[in-house]
Amino acid sequence: MAGAASAFFLLDIKGRVLVWRDFRGDVSAVQAERFFTKLIEKEGDPETQDPVVYDNGVTYIFIQHNNIYLMTASRQNCNAASLILFLHRVVDVFKHYFEELEEESLRDNFVVVYELLDEMMDFGYPQYTEAKILSEFIKTDAYRMEVTQRPPMAVTNAVSWRSEGIRYKKNEVFLDVVESVNILVNSNGQIIRSDVVGALKMRTYLSGMPECKLGLNDRVLLEAQGRSAKGKAIDLDDIKFHQCVRLARFENDRTISFIPPDGSFDLMTYRLSTQVKPLIWVEAQVERHSRSRIEIMAKARSQFKERSTATNVEIELPVPSDATNPNVRTSMGSAAYAPENDALLWKIKSFSGGKEYMLRAEFSLPSITAEEAAPERKAPIRVKFEIPYFTVSGIQVRYLKIIEKSGYQALPWVRYITMAGEYELRLV
Amino acid sequence: MAPPAQSQRSQSPSQPSSKGEVSDLKLQLRQLAGSRAQGTDDSKRELFKKVISYMTIGVNVSSLFSEMVMCSATSDIVLKKMCYLYVGNYAKGNPDLALLTINFLQKDCRDEDPMIRGLALRSLCSLRVTNLVEYLVGPLGLGLKDNNSYVRTVAAIGVLKLYHISASTCIDAEFPSILKNLMLNDPEAQVVANCLSALQEIWSSEASTSEEASREREALLSKPVIYYFLNRIKEFSEWAQCVVLDLVAKYVPSDSNEIFDIMNLLEDRLQHANGAVVLATIKVFLHLTLSMNDVHQQVYERIKAPLLTLVSSGSSEQSYAVLSHLHLLVVRAPILFSSDYKHFYCQYNEPSYVKKLKLEMLTAVANESNTYEIVTELCEYAANVDVPIARESIRAVGKIALQQYDVNAIVDRLLQFLEMEKDYVTAETLVLVKDLLRKYPQWSHDCIAVVGNISSKNVQEPKAKAALIWMLGEYSQDMLDAPYILESLVDNWDDEHSAEVRLHLLTAVLKCFFRRPPETQKALGAALAAGLADFHQDVHDRALFYYRLLQYNVSVAERVVNPPKQAVSVFADTQSSEIKDRIFDEFNSLSVVYQKDLEVQTPYLTQGLKILQPSYMFTDKEHRGPFEFSEELGSLSVGAESADNVVLAQRVEASDNDLLLNISEKEESRGPSNNGSAYSAPLYDSSSISLVVSQTQSELTFPNPALPAHAPQASLAIDDLLGLGFPAALAPAPSPSSPPLKLNARAVLDPATYQRKWKQLPVSLSQECSLSPQGAAALTTPQVLLQHMQSHSIHCIASGGQPPKFFFFAQKAEEPATFFLVECIITSSSKAEIKIKADDQSTSQDFSALFQSALSKFGMS
Repeated sequence: MAGAASAFFLLDIKGRVLVWRDFRGDVSAVQAERFFTKLIEKEGDPETQDPVVYDNGVTYIFIQHNNIYLMTASRQNCNAASLILFLHRVVDVFKHYFEELEEESLRDNFVVVYELLDEMMDFGYPQYTEAKILSEFIKTDAYRMEVTQRPPMAVTNAVSWRSEGIRYKKNEVFLDVVESVNILVNSNGQIIRSDVVGALKMRTYLSGMPECKLGLNDRVLLEAQGRSAKGKAIDLDDIKFHQCVRLARFENDRTISFIPPDGSFDLMTYRLSTQVKPLIWVEAQVERHSRSRIEIMAKARSQFKERSTATNVEIELPVPSDATNPNVRTSMGSAAYAPENDALLWKIKSFSGGKEYMLRAEFSLPSITAEEAAPERKAPIRVKFEIPYFTVSGIQVRYLKIIEKSGYQALPWVRYITMAGEYELRLV
Repeated sequence: MAPPAQSQRSQSPSQPSSKGEVSDLKLQLRQLAGSRAQGTDDSKRELFKKVISYMTIGVNVSSLFSEMVMCSATSDIVLKKMCYLYVGNYAKGNPDLALLTINFLQKDCRDEDPMIRGLALRSLCSLRVTNLVEYLVGPLGLGLKDNNSYVRTVAAIGVLKLYHISASTCIDAEFPSILKNLMLNDPEAQVVANCLSALQEIWSSEASTSEEASREREALLSKPVIYYFLNRIKEFSEWAQCVVLDLVAKYVPSDSNEIFDIMNLLEDRLQHANGAVVLATIKVFLHLTLSMNDVHQQVYERIKAPLLTLVSSGSSEQSYAVLSHLHLLVVRAPILFSSDYKHFYCQYNEPSYVKKLKLEMLTAVANESNTYEIVTELCEYAANVDVPIARESIRAVGKIALQQYDVNAIVDRLLQFLEMEKDYVTAETLVLVKDLLRKYPQWSHDCIAVVGNISSKNVQEPKAKAALIWMLGEYSQDMLDAPYILESLVDNWDDEHSAEVRLHLLTAVLKCFFRRPPETQKALGAALAAGLADFHQDVHDRALFYYRLLQYNVSVAERVVNPPKQAVSVFADTQSSEIKDRIFDEFNSLSVVYQKDLEVQTPYLTQGLKILQPSYMFTDKEHRGPFEFSEELGSLSVGAESADNVVLAQRVEASDNDLLLNISEKEESRGPSNNGSAYSAPLYDSSSISLVVSQTQSELTFPNPALPAHAPQASLAIDDLLGLGFPAALAPAPSPSSPPLKLNARAVLDPATYQRKWKQLPVSLSQECSLSPQGAAALTTPQVLLQHMQSHSIHCIASGGQPPKFFFFAQKAEEPATFFLVECIITSSSKAEIKIKADDQSTSQDFSALFQSALSKFGMS
């Protein structure tokens, strides 16, 4: 059995209970608060920050979001993974309702918070956590609720993620193919780890119950259809779909067919573990000239085709925490010292393919250092960027068909973008 | 009238100035209660919101109770909800008000709006006021039959709530059978899911007392029910799917076709976006294929990709939960992830709880082919990131070194750490080098050369200091300065705060003395004097012990302190495989996440286990085996009370599946002549063995007249010396004159009695003994050992599992009522762990000796 939660808490940054729902009466708010404030006080000691903590017969599972902690308490041998996911889902629902989930928005909306919690979990068992469904019978603005509320009718029909009777004047679908590149390069310049995590993010504004069909240049599919896949087809590892996709159908003939939820959702995620060439390569040399001066020379090179351009490139170069008086010159973009991160932030708005730019920076160091100085943390260089109209995997949407019984024409908009995920290059 | 919404925002964080605010609210509510004017609801809403805000921030607004209830006579749902919330909060503390509340809620349970019916019913069931349960039965019964699915969903959970308030009321009203009916027929998936959750909880807790409930619970795992759920699985919400999958994981299919059918049906669940569903599916796959080795391996291959994705995408909390599971799997199938080790490299920004698990994963997947890369990466962390992780990384390197055969390169790395000259790195490394030397003494020359260069002044952490001192003592002949370093340490005796370090210092000085007497004599004298004057009891005792030992006989002292050492092959802190098996059975639960805690914090462990393992954890398994015998063995673990028994029950439970298979085989092979529960054996006089044993014992008896009573055996004396406590002093020493123990060769014990005894008796002896190499080689099948032991009048009642595990028993020849029960696990090729329980505690020592001698003879003949 999955095990049930005893209580649900929303706590502020100091660990005080803001709102809580007691399901089973075997964990009190006082007990939880006392435990949690103690835990927070100990912060800094990483041992205590596991998201699953056991104390005096109770298991607390918590996550942090902005200045809020969301926590469940349980006395049973419950399913940790599932409860953690549930907490994240709660965050999503609150975000849907209040734009942003933080202490302020909670305090302003106690009533809705209670209403939502009531429907999301009953006696410790998760119930409805789809924001779309919940918003059908829990409205934020009480004044606008002239119509009598119905119970969640959507849950009673077969398509639980979409309710009937949705109407739009203009029927549109936006599909964003977003790939984030995770890369780790060691100090010898070797790539020790790289992978790509992709997501097909959809925003639908469609009337009725539309039936959608998505075609990708998936190698397995193309081969099944007897088409020769000349270098264009791709192999995707471990594909995951939103619950609306008919998985059985995909298993059979690799067609992705679905009735989409209304609004935005992740249709599909996938992973590629093939070796990826670093799209932006950064090298840095750090020289300590004397005890009081340090010089950093960095070179950034774009390693993609010239017709693509990376935008909003941000290169974070680590500098010693006690560096002062920055003196920076760049051949492109601007660089600013960010002492709060112990880093120099080099920003390049637009970085086309096949280019190389330089940065030279000088810092002063205090000539006297504390004897018992904390060991230096050698942080890596970190890079952020976005490359529109480009995917690393080469995934392409071949078609997106939308069929609704009323026969309207819907416009699909497809966009590709590649961005940096965990993109780290270790310093020499 | 009520203030507008904006003002509430500024008010809410602050406390109302005085009671005046509350009484003001009361007045306003009263005015509105009777009013039927337009816009009344809006004003009420504002007031209610205020009340709820006060309630949430902890202001006592219970005095408004009657006004709130009066005002809630409305069709406005939000007002209703706020009112339910309010009464739910205050009714429990005020029984008078509770009755009022119940009337009001009962009325709403009959409202024409299904939303209100549902909400009222939920609030009604959540009140938890014991003396008012009778009012719940009616509305619940109606709710379960309601034509609206929302109300039924609420009612299903409501039944469970009622059960927790008053189990008898719930059972008497026959709600479980109504729920069952609903579960199997309702068109709405969420109703079905809630019924399932409720029934599982109710029947699991009823099963211990009611035959019927346990039958019903079993019926949940029957083929038609499981198939019913499987066929509907796509209708369920993601959370309900988890519940269903968890149920399916307990199902025992009748043949392999069925297993494949189920897996084919569920295959697509591995692509579900919700990680919890994916994990639950993985559990099903793993459990279904437990008995099919090759398919089980294929399953591992299949689940690899989804698991790795779950680790690298999603929240770090999710990574944490998934990594805990991966760690469990990797221990069972190390080869599985050995080529994917790069997925476990740490990112700079990851929280340290994720990093720690990743380090554990890296340690676990390391093998010959990837060790170099992994250790290189770990060395990077040792220099790079934050200190706790750096320490963990060094420990990880050490662990890898301890599990590898080719440690050459790793030792070099470790020695490089020592040259980094960072205090914490040096400290961690010293501890590791010490452990490494205990396992691979052949490396001593390389290590000692480097360790000798470390100034003891730079080592402050007690553990590291103790390790350094141990090496100084152990390798004093190879380290030129050893006596002088030790001497300077002894000189600073008073500045040394850790008793552990002082204990080690005493021993090291003495060891050094035996190797280089002239140089160490002075230090030894100083150390013994300082030790005798030490305020710490253990240090004082050890110093005194050494002193007397030296006084008595120097060569005996040398034999005690400096015996020839054997390399340690396995360190005891490695978790036993049974516990791992148990955790595996609990896949997808907290047991997996806690595995580390269970291992490290032992006092907390026993307490934790008791709480973490509610009865269902044990009883689930009762239903698995198709054999009659299995139920009995399985139930051995049910209701285990003491901490001791909990651990035991775990072990039995963990491998009972394996055991069962074996027993059934054996039963078949034995044929009908034997009824399968008791075996007879040829008569055998065992007195000769026991004589031999008692002789060896007396030889070993420590000759020092100062300590005879406390140290009957040399090994115990050494334990003592190492500060490990006084087991010998506490246990009654076996008197050498006691008559030799004779066993009844035709002993008979039926399994049920065996279980009963095993449950009742405390463990009287638990120790490790050795198996001869010939014996280990001969142990190709369990049967060989069984026959051998039987020839020594020790009978086997059950065996099996991996590592091989046996349950033996023997009966005292003269006293038929005295049985000895033994659990024996062959932990490695030459070691066996035995646990003995005896009706007559005083003879268990004798029996243990007899048992061990029988065991050591195995394979000799």
